[in-house]
Amino acid sequence: MNPQDHQAPQNGQSAATANAIHLTEVDGIPTLFAYAPGPLRAGLVFRVGIADETLARAGVTHLVEHLALYRQGLADYHFNGATKAAFTHFHVEGAEHEIVDYLHGVCASLADLPMERLETEKEILRTEESRREPGQLPLWRYGAQGYGLVSYPEWGVRNLRPEDVRHWTETWFTGGNAVLWIAGDRFPAGLALKLPPGTRRPLPAVTSALPTTPAHFSDGQGGVLLDAVVTDTAAARLYAGVLERELSRALRQEDGNSYTAATDYTSRRDGHALLTAFADSLPAKQDAVLGGFVDVLAALQAGRVAPADLEAVRTRADAGLTAADAAVRRLPGAAEDLLAGRPPRGLDELRHELWSVTPGHLHAVALEAAGTALLQVPSGHSASWAGYAAAPTRSTYAVTGRRFDTVAKDGSALVVGDDGVSVTVRGRDGSDLAVTVAYRSCAAVLSWPDGGRRLIGTDGLAVAVEPGLYGVDAHTMAMLDAAVPPHARVQLPPRQSAPRAEAPASAPAAGSGGAAPVRRTGGQTAALVALFLLGGLFAFVALATTVFGHDPDSGTGEWLGLSGFLWAVTGLIVWPAVRILRRTRRV
Amino acid sequence: MSSAPGADPGPDFELASAFPEVTWLRQAAAAADWAAVRQYHDSLPPGTDRAFVVGVLAKVDGFEHTLRQQLAAVPYDVLALTVLGLRLIEAGWEIRTDARANDVSREQFKAFHEHLGEAEQLLIRATAFDPSYDAAWAARLTTALGLSLGQNESRRRYDRLARYHPHHFTGQARFLHKLYPKWGGTWEAAHGFARECLLAAPAGALNGGLVAEAHFEHWLDLGAGDKRAEYLGQPHVHAELVEAAQRSVFHPQFARPYGWVTVQGSFAAMFSLIGDTAQAAAHFRALGNLASEFPWSHLGEPAEQYVQHRDTALRGRR
Repeated sequence: MNPQDHQAPQNGQSAATANAIHLTEVDGIPTLFAYAPGPLRAGLVFRVGIADETLARAGVTHLVEHLALYRQGLADYHFNGATKAAFTHFHVEGAEHEIVDYLHGVCASLADLPMERLETEKEILRTEESRREPGQLPLWRYGAQGYGLVSYPEWGVRNLRPEDVRHWTETWFTGGNAVLWIAGDRFPAGLALKLPPGTRRPLPAVTSALPTTPAHFSDGQGGVLLDAVVTDTAAARLYAGVLERELSRALRQEDGNSYTAATDYTSRRDGHALLTAFADSLPAKQDAVLGGFVDVLAALQAGRVAPADLEAVRTRADAGLTAADAAVRRLPGAAEDLLAGRPPRGLDELRHELWSVTPGHLHAVALEAAGTALLQVPSGHSASWAGYAAAPTRSTYAVTGRRFDTVAKDGSALVVGDDGVSVTVRGRDGSDLAVTVAYRSCAAVLSWPDGGRRLIGTDGLAVAVEPGLYGVDAHTMAMLDAAVPPHARVQLPPRQSAPRAEAPASAPAAGSGGAAPVRRTGGQTAALVALFLLGGLFAFVALATTVFGHDPDSGTGEWLGLSGFLWAVTGLIVWPAVRILRRTRRV
Repeated sequence: MSSAPGADPGPDFELASAFPEVTWLRQAAAAADWAAVRQYHDSLPPGTDRAFVVGVLAKVDGFEHTLRQQLAAVPYDVLALTVLGLRLIEAGWEIRTDARANDVSREQFKAFHEHLGEAEQLLIRATAFDPSYDAAWAARLTTALGLSLGQNESRRRYDRLARYHPHHFTGQARFLHKLYPKWGGTWEAAHGFARECLLAAPAGALNGGLVAEAHFEHWLDLGAGDKRAEYLGQPHVHAELVEAAQRSVFHPQFARPYGWVTVQGSFAAMFSLIGDTAQAAAHFRALGNLASEFPWSHLGEPAEQYVQHRDTALRGRR
């Protein structure tokens, strides 16, 4: 392309002009450019993400992202990759030639991935796992498919063959499915994007695992979480800010039961956005945090929006739009919008929409959010009393077929049928409760070498088939394996302990239904080890000081003070580790 | 509740005898005259315990039709939301009955929880729209009990009420229930809260009645026998009751607000049970022949118990 075609705005122009986003092309790939001072920044964005995968192939996009960046090696300019639900970003910041080198390198790698690195990058992904922060709300809302997959481990990575990865790349990482954005004082010269041809892909289908909303489920000890689907507007964005202020005011300042209250707003780029809210809680105050949370939402649904809150949030949002680097910050989102078929919007238009929002608009958003809300409440609590229906933790039917009672004879049984498997358990009211996974709607079957299987349905419900637990014969297991769709199979390495017959059978109860537990990430495990080592060291010093440190010359007060201080430091170091331990579980 | 027929100085359990406007209020509700009900409610002087008025309205049979009509027209009518909420709570408890949990059937519990859930959601809207409305918070302290929502949640609700109404007698009495051991609390917490309310309240207010109520519930909880007698024999119990009565119903500024018959009756019962007939007689004299179900229904047939304790006290026998 010819860089002279691009008339970048000059210094000294108004914020509106400086923040304008220009639409152009590089080698047929739509490109957004905005003038910005400072180093050049660029991003190549593809319309592909975790939500396009299947549970049994989960992680393939992330793996491609890693492989595509491998040849950048240890370049000393700043670059990064990010795999999100529906978009994959390659981002770079540096001098002009560095930007050009990076983008050339990414495109070349996508055309010819370094497959010799495949197994190594798989290992790196397994230790990374740090993007697993979205928690469980997506899987309860969307199921074990589409947008729900962000809640799950990357179970597909282990079994991916080079041809699988190549096929995925050719399908999704194409010129037709990409948008480039660039921010800087000029358009980089000599830029070329050689990507294989392909078509623009539609956004992932929005699936649902919730028969009714508002809904809730109970799990974890971390406080109260909410998400809600709302129409993607400036009013909804501001509502997220107002909700955060109200939660902080009520739960932290007034009730004193929460330390952190926060909200987030993520456009899904399909005209809707996901609003999330969170309030933490002391373990003993969970009931009151839940009650306060419900009441804050109810107040906003009643239209009780403090005008001062709206103005504060609006002023901050406007400052974000008019700041010197505003366009740079808007570009990645604008690129996603463009990939979703939504052209970039002008600053004046955005600011006009922002300043047109009234408390009445926020009230409407609150009501819309109330209708789609999904609430995660701590284990042992319910939100049924507040009108949030219990999200499904069991199926509406059980398959018919061969029945295997648990060896422990606790009343639960496994039923293996021609169309699927069920675990049934006698409910407290005497009726049979079941969790069923039909083979045809099986998102993944986890297989362990010891013979254990776990079938996960697209609705997120799971059935554990443990031959030892139910006394299932080899013939039946072979039939089951043959009935499962091949693309759903996931081979896992030996596990540390297979469920044994004397252990209580997993019953289809809340929390064990479809919920992947809050998994401890690699980073958290590393932090645990480091914190306990450091904590142990300080504990030793503190103990030594306490026992041997009483020097008659310097007095008891000083000794007590030093000992106390050392023990306090030990506590401070170990406390975060204890928090990680309490919040997470090994899987 | 009508008085026992024929008994000359028999106790009068009729609420309207103590508060004549109750008759008018019931008639207006029965006649579906929403405007009149609303006007009466809205003209109550500041500081009035409006949970009392809402309680009267919630007991009027068929009033739910009027309330639902009103809410269809005005979805955020806080008074209608609150009265309907309380009416559903009453209906729910009627289904559940006061029996011990073991004696309540699964179907009864299901219907009870459905009623309470619907009530709670109406009341959530009421407090969301007007967080200063005392009767709605008082009702939400009742739903918190029935829905087993936890000590901290009840405390939060009481604190929300107290932000606007620091000496709300009905709200305090409902929260006091949550502090009893049978609802997950402790006697220390219950007595502590009752005393806290007594000391914080203005002179001559009803709040001292909580001290009597807590001692009465504690005594009941000990079951028949020596432990009960032992409990009543403790000098500090008697002293606390005397102090609470002096600060409330026997204070010169006491003006017989809504709920006073129950409070005076609680003092009468406690002093009578202790055997201080002089104190008991003073409370019975203040009552005239007025009575309320609490506390007498916990001692046996309410009218019989009332007469028996009163006659003993007035005759001055120990």
